[in-house]
Amino acid sequence: MGKKKQEMSQVYNSNNEFIFGEKGGKGKNLSTFLKNLSLTTSPSQPQSEFNEANSNIYGSLSYSNPNTNEISRSNPSLARRASPKRSLSGPTNMSFAHSLTPTASEALRTNSPTRTKRVVSAKYADLDDDWDANFDDARVDTDMPSVRREGFGNTFLDPSPMLDSLYPDLTIPAGTKEPVKDSIDLEDMKIKLEINKLNQLNTKFLKFKALLTQSSNINLQELRKLSWNGIPSNLRAISWQILLGYLPTNKSRQSATLKIKRQEYLDGINSSSLNLNRDKQIYHQIKIDVKRTNPTVKLYGHPEVQKSLRKILYFWAIRHPASGYVQGINDLVTPFFQIFLTNYIWQLQPLLNDPQLFNYNLHNLDPTQISSRVLSIIEADTYWCLSRLLETITDNYIHQQPGILKQVSDLKNLISKIDIDLIHHFEQENIEFLQFAFRWMNCLLMRELSIDLIIRMWDTYLSESPLGFSNFHIYVCAAFLIKFSSDLKQKDFQEIILFLQNPPTSHWTDKDIELMLSEAFIWSSLYKNASAHLR
Amino acid sequence: MSFPNPAKAVKLVLLGEAAVGKSSLVLRFVSNDFQENKEPTIGAAFLTQKCTIGDKTIKYEIWDTAGQERFASLAPMYYRNAQAALVVYDITKPASFLKARHWVKELHEQASKDITIALVGNKYDLVEDENDGDTLRKVSVEEGQKLAEDEGLLFFETSAKTSYNVNEVFVGIGTKIPESSAPTGVQQAGNEAGRIDLTTGAASTTQQTSGCC
Repeated sequence: MGKKKQEMSQVYNSNNEFIFGEKGGKGKNLSTFLKNLSLTTSPSQPQSEFNEANSNIYGSLSYSNPNTNEISRSNPSLARRASPKRSLSGPTNMSFAHSLTPTASEALRTNSPTRTKRVVSAKYADLDDDWDANFDDARVDTDMPSVRREGFGNTFLDPSPMLDSLYPDLTIPAGTKEPVKDSIDLEDMKIKLEINKLNQLNTKFLKFKALLTQSSNINLQELRKLSWNGIPSNLRAISWQILLGYLPTNKSRQSATLKIKRQEYLDGINSSSLNLNRDKQIYHQIKIDVKRTNPTVKLYGHPEVQKSLRKILYFWAIRHPASGYVQGINDLVTPFFQIFLTNYIWQLQPLLNDPQLFNYNLHNLDPTQISSRVLSIIEADTYWCLSRLLETITDNYIHQQPGILKQVSDLKNLISKIDIDLIHHFEQENIEFLQFAFRWMNCLLMRELSIDLIIRMWDTYLSESPLGFSNFHIYVCAAFLIKFSSDLKQKDFQEIILFLQNPPTSHWTDKDIELMLSEAFIWSSLYKNASAHLR
Repeated sequence: MSFPNPAKAVKLVLLGEAAVGKSSLVLRFVSNDFQENKEPTIGAAFLTQKCTIGDKTIKYEIWDTAGQERFASLAPMYYRNAQAALVVYDITKPASFLKARHWVKELHEQASKDITIALVGNKYDLVEDENDGDTLRKVSVEEGQKLAEDEGLLFFETSAKTSYNVNEVFVGIGTKIPESSAPTGVQQAGNEAGRIDLTTGAASTTQQTSGCC
């Protein structure tokens, strides 16, 4: 035991961080790893850089942005010393901006009302003061000068003189048709829209980054506000951990807290495995279910990953005897696990200078390359975050699952306020809400929506206060059901059940989810007083 | 005016411990398919399949319930109006056979009196090539048969993986099911007034069930 503990403590020793290692064996430290795998052209990559990247959650923010990745690669010293703000003024950002400008200005020059609408509906976040001056200059000269300052949504439909002259098409009334010019324009259009999207993403990223790095105490309210509309994927891990209260907002306390929590998990795992016999049945069930968790995603077929999931689920189950392990929790663990895992991989990318690393994703990643120590860190973070989530819905998994029964009945009440015709149709067809909505609650719609959409949805759930998995989820389920209302009203019992068992969401994108979340939000505000009983 | 043999709807429910292969049996019957690691059923899944037996056609409306103990409180909603039930166990898992006894007892006590029940020992593929010596089989054919005889059940050993005996289960049910059995929509929930003798008989032969998880 003593030996084990000492070994484990190395996980947190920043001078001796182990990243990858052979299967189940000792990890290798960074330079060994680099040498052995010949992954880098600069094996002299300073260890200190990795240490800094590792500062809080095995990685600091300054390495997460593709732009800053570039910086750290081309100019490590800049990246090392750079404050978030300064790092943005790097040459790569400039070139990023330049590459946008030639076409971006024309992005709003649309030929048809529909496309106008698409562009217009895109939000231009106010880039205010946190914008780096250089970056600003690079863009402002050639890039949509007035639009950018117009703020959100429709406000920039107001035809300012400048906007009018630069982008006359923007001001044409809806419904007016103009002939589509030629295919080249269409191609351009696509590229321009893409660029706009990237610009928005970048703006969003910078806002998050500013929030997460510029103060010693992260403003949780502000983070919730930003996160509600979606979190940039490379800042998702840290944002989720903060929103869940796992990672303290006070940055000086983050490292220590993580250290304690991760050690607590390890100690718990080590001692609980001795009592494995005691809860053999639970373990058996978990073992069966982990094998059939996301069976179509290759990552979850790896024995190492399955082992991690088994440990997390088993440890949670024995620490929560009132519920124990309930099927469906095996689904809920996966978003955390894969977000934290990919985040770790991303942290390595700028450090290893290996173009190949950028191509690692959930489908081609070989977890045997990750040392057991790193896996245990990812496990620990996953465990604690899963615990936080489940704390908010404990009644869903205890005997007779009263939480779910209540949620389902609340959903029915809510639908009867929003769409009484649908209720009448269901009654006529002898549909019971439990027959379809039970699973919606038990698995938080994870069986109905792809994991990518679920992750986007959780950005919002985690930004709700209290967390959205219990109460807000009911409104989301209502929005989900109502989405299909007119279809459902044409169907009989059998068709309804079969439809809701396999709802047509495979083509859904984040936009569909965001629309659904907005509707849920509106209803939750609208019926807040009327449905205080939902709590 | 109407078809000579209109499809008769039969509501059928599957019960049994987690991971014995309930969903796989249904998948084999409905789609003639098999998936190695099928994700666990939550709540229940609904499927339909038609089945022609002699000159009659039966349309099975199948509720495939979740097996985990925690979901057991939902089961009555699904077997309440069922005309047929498959109680499934895994012939390599003795605990699942105990659970099957429990379900048979509960069905006799709570479900419609004329419900047709088949006891199904699944995963036959795991034992079919084995000799009697060291075997994965933990529940003997005789044990299954005995329970079936005592309780008046149909009995089959099946493999959803190889499709062995799967159709036979549904044909067997279709053959045995009472002609008078009303279609799903018409049947009433609380039509069980008499015939207590069956229930008491069932209860007396399933004393062990209290011991199961």
